[in-house]
Amino acid sequence: MPEPTAPRRGLSLDVYAVALALLLALLVRLNLIPSIKW
Amino acid sequence: MATAANTTTPLSQSEPASLGRRIVALIPGLLLLAAVGYAGKFIEQSIAAYTKSHHITFPNIEYVLWAIVIGLLISNTVGVPRVFQPGVATYEFWLKAGIVLLGSRFLLGDVLHLGGISLLLVAVALTLSLTFMHILGRTFKLKPKLTSLLAVGSSICGVSAIIAAKPAIDADDEDASYAIAAILALGAISLFTFPLIGHSLHLSDKAYGLWAGLAVDNTAEATAAGALYSDAAGKVAVLAKTSRNALIGFIVLGYAIYWASRGQAQAVTNKAEFLWRKFPKFVLGFLLISLLATLSFFSKPQLASIANLSRWAFLLTFAGVGLRTSFRELGKQGWRPFAVGAIGEVFIALVTLGLVYGADRFLHL
Repeated sequence: MPEPTAPRRGLSLDVYAVALALLLALLVRLNLIPSIKW
Repeated sequence: MATAANTTTPLSQSEPASLGRRIVALIPGLLLLAAVGYAGKFIEQSIAAYTKSHHITFPNIEYVLWAIVIGLLISNTVGVPRVFQPGVATYEFWLKAGIVLLGSRFLLGDVLHLGGISLLLVAVALTLSLTFMHILGRTFKLKPKLTSLLAVGSSICGVSAIIAAKPAIDADDEDASYAIAAILALGAISLFTFPLIGHSLHLSDKAYGLWAGLAVDNTAEATAAGALYSDAAGKVAVLAKTSRNALIGFIVLGYAIYWASRGQAQAVTNKAEFLWRKFPKFVLGFLLISLLATLSFFSKPQLASIANLSRWAFLLTFAGVGLRTSFRELGKQGWRPFAVGAIGEVFIALVTLGLVYGADRFLHL
Protein backbone atom coordinates (compact mmCIF):
# COMPACT_ATOMS: atom_id res chain seq x y z
CA MET A 1 0.00 0.00 0.00
CA PRO A 2 1.52 3.36 -0.90
CA GLU A 3 2.38 5.82 1.84
CA PRO A 4 -0.38 8.45 1.57
CA THR A 5 1.63 11.20 3.16
CA ALA A 6 4.67 10.77 0.93
CA PRO A 7 5.61 14.17 -0.50
CA ARG A 8 5.21 14.65 -4.26
CA ARG A 9 8.19 15.62 -6.30
CA GLY A 10 8.42 19.27 -7.26
CA LEU A 11 6.36 22.26 -6.23
CA SER A 12 2.60 22.22 -6.59
CA LEU A 13 0.74 24.12 -9.27
CA ASP A 14 -0.62 26.48 -6.61
CA VAL A 15 2.84 27.71 -5.67
CA TYR A 16 3.74 28.58 -9.27
CA ALA A 17 0.39 30.35 -9.74
CA VAL A 18 0.81 32.37 -6.54
CA ALA A 19 4.41 33.26 -7.47
CA LEU A 20 3.36 34.49 -10.93
CA ALA A 21 0.44 36.51 -9.54
CA LEU A 22 2.59 38.15 -6.86
CA LEU A 23 5.32 38.90 -9.40
CA LEU A 24 2.79 40.56 -11.72
CA ALA A 25 1.34 42.58 -8.84
CA LEU A 26 4.83 43.71 -7.87
CA LEU A 27 5.64 44.73 -11.46
CA VAL A 28 2.43 46.77 -11.55
CA ARG A 29 3.29 48.35 -8.18
CA LEU A 30 6.76 49.33 -9.40
CA ASN A 31 5.29 50.66 -12.67
CA LEU A 32 7.48 48.25 -14.62
CA ILE A 33 4.62 47.19 -16.90
CA PRO A 34 2.18 49.53 -18.64
CA SER A 35 -1.36 49.79 -17.29
CA ILE A 36 -3.43 46.75 -18.23
CA LYS A 37 -6.65 47.39 -20.13
CA TRP A 38 -9.65 45.10 -20.47
CA MET B 1 -10.70 13.74 -21.49
CA ALA B 2 -12.25 13.35 -18.11
CA THR B 3 -9.35 11.78 -16.35
CA ALA B 4 -7.10 12.80 -13.54
CA ALA B 5 -4.38 13.42 -16.09
CA ASN B 6 -6.28 16.41 -17.37
CA THR B 7 -6.16 18.16 -14.06
CA THR B 8 -2.39 18.25 -13.87
CA THR B 9 -0.28 20.60 -15.83
CA PRO B 10 3.09 20.11 -17.39
CA LEU B 11 4.47 22.56 -14.83
CA SER B 12 4.13 19.97 -12.10
CA GLN B 13 4.87 16.84 -14.10
CA SER B 14 7.97 14.93 -13.27
CA GLU B 15 8.70 13.49 -16.72
CA PRO B 16 12.33 13.60 -17.72
CA ALA B 17 11.85 16.34 -20.33
CA SER B 18 13.92 19.49 -20.32
CA LEU B 19 12.26 22.61 -18.93
CA GLY B 20 12.71 24.41 -22.25
CA ARG B 21 10.99 21.63 -24.20
CA ARG B 22 8.12 21.51 -21.71
CA ILE B 23 7.59 25.26 -21.98
CA VAL B 24 7.66 25.10 -25.81
CA ALA B 25 5.07 22.28 -25.66
CA LEU B 26 2.70 24.64 -23.84
CA ILE B 27 2.72 27.33 -26.51
CA PRO B 28 0.17 25.89 -29.04
CA GLY B 29 -2.41 25.21 -26.34
CA LEU B 30 -1.85 28.60 -24.70
CA LEU B 31 -2.41 30.27 -28.06
CA LEU B 32 -5.61 28.24 -28.49
CA LEU B 33 -6.84 29.29 -25.02
CA ALA B 34 -6.10 32.93 -25.85
CA ALA B 35 -7.78 32.68 -29.28
CA VAL B 36 -10.95 31.03 -27.92
CA GLY B 37 -11.15 33.40 -24.93
CA TYR B 38 -10.55 36.47 -27.08
CA ALA B 39 -13.09 35.28 -29.65
CA GLY B 40 -15.65 35.17 -26.81
CA LYS B 41 -14.76 38.72 -25.80
CA PHE B 42 -14.90 39.87 -29.43
CA ILE B 43 -18.37 38.33 -29.94
CA GLU B 44 -19.69 39.98 -26.75
CA GLN B 45 -18.35 43.38 -27.79
CA SER B 46 -19.54 43.02 -31.40
CA ILE B 47 -23.09 42.12 -30.36
CA ALA B 48 -23.17 44.96 -27.83
CA ALA B 49 -21.90 47.47 -30.45
CA TYR B 50 -24.34 46.22 -33.13
CA THR B 51 -27.42 46.24 -30.87
CA LYS B 52 -26.50 49.68 -29.53
CA SER B 53 -25.97 51.23 -32.97
CA HIS B 54 -29.26 49.72 -34.26
CA HIS B 55 -31.18 50.60 -31.07
CA ILE B 56 -32.05 46.96 -30.47
CA THR B 57 -32.79 45.84 -26.91
CA PHE B 58 -30.84 42.64 -26.39
CA PRO B 59 -29.55 41.11 -23.13
CA ASN B 60 -25.79 41.30 -22.77
CA ILE B 61 -24.34 37.80 -23.10
CA GLU B 62 -21.03 37.74 -21.26
CA TYR B 63 -17.85 36.67 -23.05
CA VAL B 64 -17.68 33.86 -20.47
CA LEU B 65 -20.56 32.04 -22.14
CA TRP B 66 -19.19 32.56 -25.65
CA ALA B 67 -15.73 31.34 -24.67
CA ILE B 68 -17.16 28.22 -23.04
CA VAL B 69 -19.50 27.50 -25.95
CA ILE B 70 -16.71 27.90 -28.55
CA GLY B 71 -14.52 25.61 -26.46
CA LEU B 72 -17.31 23.04 -26.16
CA LEU B 73 -17.92 23.17 -29.92
CA ILE B 74 -14.25 22.50 -30.65
CA SER B 75 -13.81 19.72 -28.10
CA ASN B 76 -17.05 17.96 -29.08
CA THR B 77 -16.68 18.19 -32.87
CA VAL B 78 -13.13 18.15 -34.18
CA GLY B 79 -11.64 17.51 -30.73
CA VAL B 80 -8.53 19.09 -29.23
CA PRO B 81 -5.47 17.75 -31.11
CA ARG B 82 -2.70 16.32 -28.98
CA VAL B 83 -0.31 19.19 -29.75
CA PHE B 84 -2.67 21.63 -28.00
CA GLN B 85 -3.42 19.53 -24.92
CA PRO B 86 -0.46 20.46 -22.65
CA GLY B 87 -1.19 24.18 -23.07
CA VAL B 88 -4.96 23.75 -22.67
CA ALA B 89 -4.31 21.86 -19.42
CA THR B 90 -2.80 25.05 -17.94
CA TYR B 91 -6.28 26.57 -17.60
CA GLU B 92 -6.28 25.65 -13.90
CA PHE B 93 -2.96 27.44 -13.42
CA TRP B 94 -4.50 30.63 -14.87
CA LEU B 95 -7.55 30.16 -12.66
CA LYS B 96 -5.42 30.12 -9.52
CA ALA B 97 -3.27 33.07 -10.63
CA GLY B 98 -6.50 34.95 -11.47
CA ILE B 99 -7.97 34.24 -8.03
CA VAL B 100 -4.84 35.54 -6.29
CA LEU B 101 -4.96 38.73 -8.39
CA LEU B 102 -8.70 39.08 -7.70
CA GLY B 103 -7.77 39.57 -4.03
CA SER B 104 -6.96 43.17 -5.02
CA ARG B 105 -10.70 43.83 -5.47
CA PHE B 106 -11.53 42.94 -1.85
CA LEU B 107 -10.79 44.83 1.33
CA LEU B 108 -9.68 42.39 4.01
CA GLY B 109 -12.73 43.32 6.11
CA ASP B 110 -15.06 42.21 3.30
CA VAL B 111 -13.10 38.99 2.91
CA LEU B 112 -13.44 38.24 6.62
CA HIS B 113 -17.16 39.16 6.65
CA LEU B 114 -18.24 37.28 3.52
CA GLY B 115 -15.62 34.54 3.98
CA GLY B 116 -16.81 34.01 7.58
CA ILE B 117 -20.44 33.71 6.45
CA SER B 118 -19.34 31.35 3.67
CA LEU B 119 -17.44 29.14 6.12
CA LEU B 120 -20.44 28.99 8.44
CA LEU B 121 -22.76 28.02 5.57
CA VAL B 122 -20.20 25.56 4.18
CA ALA B 123 -19.99 23.80 7.55
CA VAL B 124 -23.79 23.32 7.66
CA ALA B 125 -24.07 22.34 3.98
CA LEU B 126 -21.09 19.99 4.30
CA THR B 127 -22.54 18.03 7.19
CA LEU B 128 -25.86 17.59 5.40
CA SER B 129 -24.40 16.81 1.99
CA LEU B 130 -21.78 14.29 3.17
CA THR B 131 -24.49 12.39 5.08
CA PHE B 132 -26.85 12.52 2.10
CA MET B 133 -24.20 11.38 -0.39
CA HIS B 134 -23.34 8.35 1.73
CA ILE B 135 -27.00 7.36 1.99
CA LEU B 136 -27.30 7.75 -1.80
CA GLY B 137 -24.13 5.74 -2.42
CA ARG B 138 -25.50 2.87 -0.35
CA THR B 139 -28.89 3.07 -2.10
CA PHE B 140 -27.26 2.90 -5.55
CA LYS B 141 -24.82 0.20 -4.37
CA LEU B 142 -21.70 2.18 -5.30
CA LYS B 143 -18.33 1.07 -3.96
CA PRO B 144 -17.79 2.81 -0.58
CA LYS B 145 -14.59 4.56 -1.69
CA LEU B 146 -16.21 5.80 -4.88
CA THR B 147 -19.00 7.21 -2.69
CA SER B 148 -16.38 8.89 -0.48
CA LEU B 149 -14.76 10.48 -3.55
CA LEU B 150 -18.11 11.66 -4.91
CA ALA B 151 -19.06 13.05 -1.50
CA VAL B 152 -15.76 14.94 -1.23
CA GLY B 153 -16.01 16.18 -4.82
CA SER B 154 -19.58 17.38 -4.65
CA SER B 155 -19.54 18.85 -1.18
CA ILE B 156 -16.14 20.48 -0.96
CA CYS B 157 -14.37 21.37 -4.14
CA GLY B 158 -14.68 19.20 -7.17
CA VAL B 159 -11.77 17.67 -9.00
CA SER B 160 -9.03 19.06 -6.75
CA ALA B 161 -10.69 17.49 -3.70
CA ILE B 162 -10.99 14.13 -5.45
CA ILE B 163 -7.33 14.24 -6.47
CA ALA B 164 -6.34 15.20 -2.93
CA ALA B 165 -8.48 12.46 -1.39
CA LYS B 166 -7.57 9.62 -3.80
CA PRO B 167 -4.10 8.77 -2.41
CA ALA B 168 -5.14 9.58 1.14
CA ILE B 169 -7.90 6.94 1.17
CA ASP B 170 -6.05 4.65 -1.27
CA ALA B 171 -8.89 4.66 -3.82
CA ASP B 172 -8.66 3.03 -7.27
CA ASP B 173 -7.77 5.05 -10.38
CA GLU B 174 -11.04 3.84 -11.89
CA ASP B 175 -13.09 5.18 -8.95
CA ALA B 176 -11.30 8.53 -9.18
CA SER B 177 -12.00 8.70 -12.93
CA TYR B 178 -15.71 7.95 -12.40
CA ALA B 179 -15.99 10.54 -9.65
CA ILE B 180 -14.09 13.19 -11.67
CA ALA B 181 -16.20 12.51 -14.78
CA ALA B 182 -19.44 12.84 -12.80
CA ILE B 183 -18.27 16.08 -11.16
CA LEU B 184 -17.13 17.55 -14.50
CA ALA B 185 -20.40 16.65 -16.24
CA LEU B 186 -22.44 18.13 -13.42
CA GLY B 187 -20.26 21.23 -13.40
CA ALA B 188 -20.99 21.76 -17.11
CA ILE B 189 -24.73 21.47 -16.43
CA SER B 190 -24.49 23.90 -13.47
CA LEU B 191 -22.91 26.51 -15.73
CA PHE B 192 -26.09 26.82 -17.74
CA THR B 193 -28.72 26.14 -15.06
CA PHE B 194 -27.49 28.27 -12.16
CA PRO B 195 -27.70 31.69 -13.89
CA LEU B 196 -31.18 30.82 -15.21
CA ILE B 197 -32.41 29.84 -11.73
CA GLY B 198 -30.73 32.89 -10.16
CA HIS B 199 -32.45 35.24 -12.60
CA SER B 200 -35.82 33.56 -12.21
CA LEU B 201 -35.57 33.91 -8.41
CA HIS B 202 -34.34 37.55 -8.77
CA LEU B 203 -31.36 36.85 -6.51
CA SER B 204 -29.11 39.80 -5.69
CA ASP B 205 -25.53 39.67 -7.00
CA LYS B 206 -24.22 38.86 -3.52
CA ALA B 207 -26.80 36.17 -2.79
CA TYR B 208 -26.34 34.55 -6.21
CA GLY B 209 -22.53 34.74 -6.00
CA LEU B 210 -22.58 33.14 -2.57
CA TRP B 211 -24.92 30.40 -3.81
CA ALA B 212 -22.77 29.65 -6.88
CA GLY B 213 -19.61 29.61 -4.74
CA LEU B 214 -21.17 27.24 -2.22
CA ALA B 215 -22.99 24.89 -4.59
CA VAL B 216 -21.00 24.58 -7.85
CA ASP B 217 -18.24 22.03 -7.36
CA ASN B 218 -15.24 22.85 -9.46
CA THR B 219 -13.54 26.19 -8.86
CA ALA B 220 -13.39 26.98 -12.59
CA GLU B 221 -17.11 26.27 -13.07
CA ALA B 222 -18.06 28.17 -9.88
CA THR B 223 -16.07 31.18 -11.12
CA ALA B 224 -17.70 30.95 -14.56
CA ALA B 225 -21.22 30.42 -13.14
CA GLY B 226 -20.74 33.56 -11.01
CA ALA B 227 -19.30 35.64 -13.86
CA LEU B 228 -22.16 34.58 -16.16
CA TYR B 229 -24.58 36.30 -13.76
CA SER B 230 -22.65 39.54 -13.28
CA ASP B 231 -19.18 40.84 -12.54
CA ALA B 232 -20.11 41.49 -8.88
CA ALA B 233 -21.63 38.02 -8.52
CA GLY B 234 -18.46 36.51 -10.02
CA LYS B 235 -16.36 38.24 -7.37
CA VAL B 236 -18.49 36.91 -4.52
CA ALA B 237 -18.62 33.42 -6.06
CA VAL B 238 -14.80 33.28 -6.12
CA LEU B 239 -14.60 34.39 -2.48
CA ALA B 240 -17.18 31.83 -1.32
CA LYS B 241 -15.53 29.07 -3.35
CA THR B 242 -12.10 30.01 -1.97
CA SER B 243 -13.46 29.72 1.59
CA ARG B 244 -14.82 26.30 0.69
CA ASN B 245 -11.49 25.28 -0.85
CA ALA B 246 -9.70 26.22 2.37
CA LEU B 247 -11.48 23.34 4.12
CA ILE B 248 -10.24 20.68 1.72
CA GLY B 249 -7.41 19.48 4.00
CA PHE B 250 -9.69 18.94 7.00
CA ILE B 251 -12.24 16.90 5.04
CA VAL B 252 -9.61 14.78 3.31
CA LEU B 253 -7.88 14.21 6.66
CA GLY B 254 -11.21 13.09 8.15
CA TYR B 255 -11.69 10.54 5.34
CA ALA B 256 -8.06 9.38 5.56
CA ILE B 257 -8.48 8.72 9.30
CA TYR B 258 -11.80 6.94 8.70
CA TRP B 259 -10.43 4.59 6.02
CA ALA B 260 -7.22 3.99 8.02
CA SER B 261 -9.34 3.01 11.05
CA ARG B 262 -10.97 0.36 8.83
CA GLY B 263 -7.53 -0.89 7.75
CA GLN B 264 -8.11 0.17 4.13
CA ALA B 265 -5.66 3.09 3.96
CA GLN B 266 -2.34 3.97 5.55
CA ALA B 267 -2.53 5.85 8.86
CA VAL B 268 -1.68 9.58 8.74
CA THR B 269 1.33 10.04 10.98
CA ASN B 270 1.82 13.81 10.89
CA LYS B 271 -1.58 15.54 10.76
CA ALA B 272 -0.24 19.13 10.69
CA GLU B 273 2.06 18.29 7.75
CA PHE B 274 -0.84 16.52 6.01
CA LEU B 275 -3.11 19.57 6.43
CA TRP B 276 -0.45 21.95 5.12
CA ARG B 277 0.24 19.74 2.09
CA LYS B 278 -3.45 19.57 1.17
CA PHE B 279 -4.11 23.26 1.87
CA PRO B 280 -4.64 25.22 -1.38
CA LYS B 281 -1.81 27.76 -1.31
CA PHE B 282 -3.56 30.18 -3.65
CA VAL B 283 -5.91 31.02 -0.76
CA LEU B 284 -2.90 32.53 1.04
CA GLY B 285 -1.93 34.49 -2.09
CA PHE B 286 -5.48 35.81 -2.36
CA LEU B 287 -5.42 36.95 1.30
CA LEU B 288 -1.98 38.56 0.88
CA ILE B 289 -3.04 40.63 -2.16
CA SER B 290 -6.25 41.60 -0.36
CA LEU B 291 -4.21 42.70 2.69
CA LEU B 292 -1.87 44.76 0.49
CA ALA B 293 -4.87 46.41 -1.20
CA THR B 294 -6.40 47.17 2.21
CA LEU B 295 -3.12 48.77 3.37
CA SER B 296 -3.15 51.02 0.24
CA PHE B 297 0.04 49.41 -1.06
CA PHE B 298 -1.35 49.93 -4.59
CA SER B 299 -2.68 53.16 -6.11
CA LYS B 300 -6.16 53.19 -7.69
CA PRO B 301 -4.87 52.85 -11.28
CA GLN B 302 -2.58 50.03 -10.15
CA LEU B 303 -5.53 48.24 -8.51
CA ALA B 304 -7.43 48.58 -11.80
CA SER B 305 -4.49 47.05 -13.69
CA ILE B 306 -4.26 44.12 -11.27
CA ALA B 307 -8.02 43.53 -11.52
CA ASN B 308 -7.71 43.52 -15.33
CA LEU B 309 -4.83 41.04 -15.16
CA SER B 310 -7.17 38.82 -13.15
CA ARG B 311 -9.83 39.14 -15.88
CA TRP B 312 -7.33 38.12 -18.57
CA ALA B 313 -6.30 35.10 -16.50
CA PHE B 314 -9.97 34.11 -16.12
CA LEU B 315 -10.49 34.53 -19.87
CA LEU B 316 -7.92 31.76 -20.45
CA THR B 317 -9.60 29.67 -17.74
CA PHE B 318 -13.09 29.89 -19.26
CA ALA B 319 -11.75 28.90 -22.68
CA GLY B 320 -10.14 25.88 -21.00
CA VAL B 321 -13.39 24.87 -19.28
CA GLY B 322 -15.07 24.45 -22.67
CA LEU B 323 -12.06 22.87 -24.38
CA ARG B 324 -11.54 20.16 -21.78
CA THR B 325 -15.21 19.07 -21.60
CA SER B 326 -15.90 16.15 -23.91
CA PHE B 327 -19.47 14.89 -23.55
CA ARG B 328 -18.61 11.63 -25.31
CA GLU B 329 -15.87 10.84 -22.78
CA LEU B 330 -18.09 11.85 -19.87
CA GLY B 331 -20.89 9.61 -21.19
CA LYS B 332 -18.58 6.56 -21.13
CA GLN B 333 -18.27 6.61 -17.36
CA GLY B 334 -21.53 4.84 -16.50
CA TRP B 335 -24.81 6.20 -15.23
CA ARG B 336 -24.71 5.26 -11.54
CA PRO B 337 -21.90 7.56 -10.34
CA PHE B 338 -23.51 10.29 -12.45
CA ALA B 339 -26.95 9.63 -10.95
CA VAL B 340 -25.59 9.71 -7.38
CA GLY B 341 -23.66 12.89 -8.17
CA ALA B 342 -26.66 14.52 -9.87
CA ILE B 343 -29.13 13.74 -7.08
CA GLY B 344 -26.53 14.88 -4.54
CA GLU B 345 -25.94 18.10 -6.49
CA VAL B 346 -29.63 18.95 -6.61
CA PHE B 347 -29.81 18.34 -2.86
CA ILE B 348 -26.73 20.53 -2.20
CA ALA B 349 -28.04 23.27 -4.52
CA LEU B 350 -31.36 23.36 -2.65
CA VAL B 351 -29.77 23.27 0.81
CA THR B 352 -27.29 26.03 -0.05
CA LEU B 353 -30.03 28.12 -1.69
CA GLY B 354 -32.04 27.88 1.54
CA LEU B 355 -28.94 28.78 3.58
CA VAL B 356 -28.16 31.77 1.35
CA TYR B 357 -31.75 33.02 1.65
CA GLY B 358 -31.45 32.70 5.43
CA ALA B 359 -28.05 34.43 5.50
CA ASP B 360 -29.31 37.25 3.27
CA ARG B 361 -32.19 37.82 5.66
CA PHE B 362 -30.52 37.36 9.05
CA LEU B 363 -26.79 38.03 8.51
CA HIS B 364 -27.17 40.90 5.99
CA LEU B 365 -24.79 39.88 3.20
